[in-house]
Amino acid sequence: MMQKPWFKVFIWFMATFFFFLAAGVVISVFRPGPTESEVMKFMMGMMSAMDNSMMGVAMGIESDNTLKSVIKMANSIALPVIVISIIAGIGIKLWQRGGKDV
Amino acid sequence: MNVRFDFIMHWLWAVVWSLLGLSGFAMVGAKHGWLLNFDYATADYVHRISAAVFVLLTFISICYEVYRNIKRDTKHLAWFVIGRSGYQLFTFITTLILIITGAIIWICTELNMTIAGFALLIHEYISYIALASVIWHIYKKSHALILSKKTAAKLPTK
Repeated sequence: MMQKPWFKVFIWFMATFFFFLAAGVVISVFRPGPTESEVMKFMMGMMSAMDNSMMGVAMGIESDNTLKSVIKMANSIALPVIVISIIAGIGIKLWQRGGKDV
Repeated sequence: MNVRFDFIMHWLWAVVWSLLGLSGFAMVGAKHGWLLNFDYATADYVHRISAAVFVLLTFISICYEVYRNIKRDTKHLAWFVIGRSGYQLFTFITTLILIITGAIIWICTELNMTIAGFALLIHEYISYIALASVIWHIYKKSHALILSKKTAAKLPTK
């Protein structure tokens, strides 16, 4: 698979993409600015996202009482689930160790 | 053609990560907006949908790793995105941090601004570290970019 020409092109594309992305981020961080027009464009984009994107939908859902109760329930069970999974992990390790001795 | 599961997961992960990276960095601030021509709505859409796929891929990977552990399969999966040591472990930790902070940002924006702000800060800085690590990873695996004579012969010469 790795030696197929189309896959080589894909790998090259991905590698180039990440290098350009990293270069873009470095340029963004170290360049001067932002200018007032850039801030305006960014704010306008954000406003438009609230109307036309999932951000608006998500914000609408957040005022939903049912969702709030689900979040509260998820919060309350998160810690027990983590503890149970840690215990289960230790249990599997001990079980495996027991199996090795046999 | 025999394509391994870890190989497929690796490249699916890479594609989703690239989408998340581009859309996410374009939303960092006004200085970064030019990355997607200040189209915040598209970036937001792409980021949330890719994030859902990303969480699904992570969940499948974790389930597979747990299954392997139960089956006592100690074979090293070279292409797998998560693992017990090295870059695979680093990816696993950064992924978990990104998913948890991302979920907090998604859920808590309206509920608790302080927690959302803190999560946003962590999400952003971990993303910088993860992107730098991807560049390092590509550098370490750059031998994959080399064309073999056989492959080069198959490519159009003109």
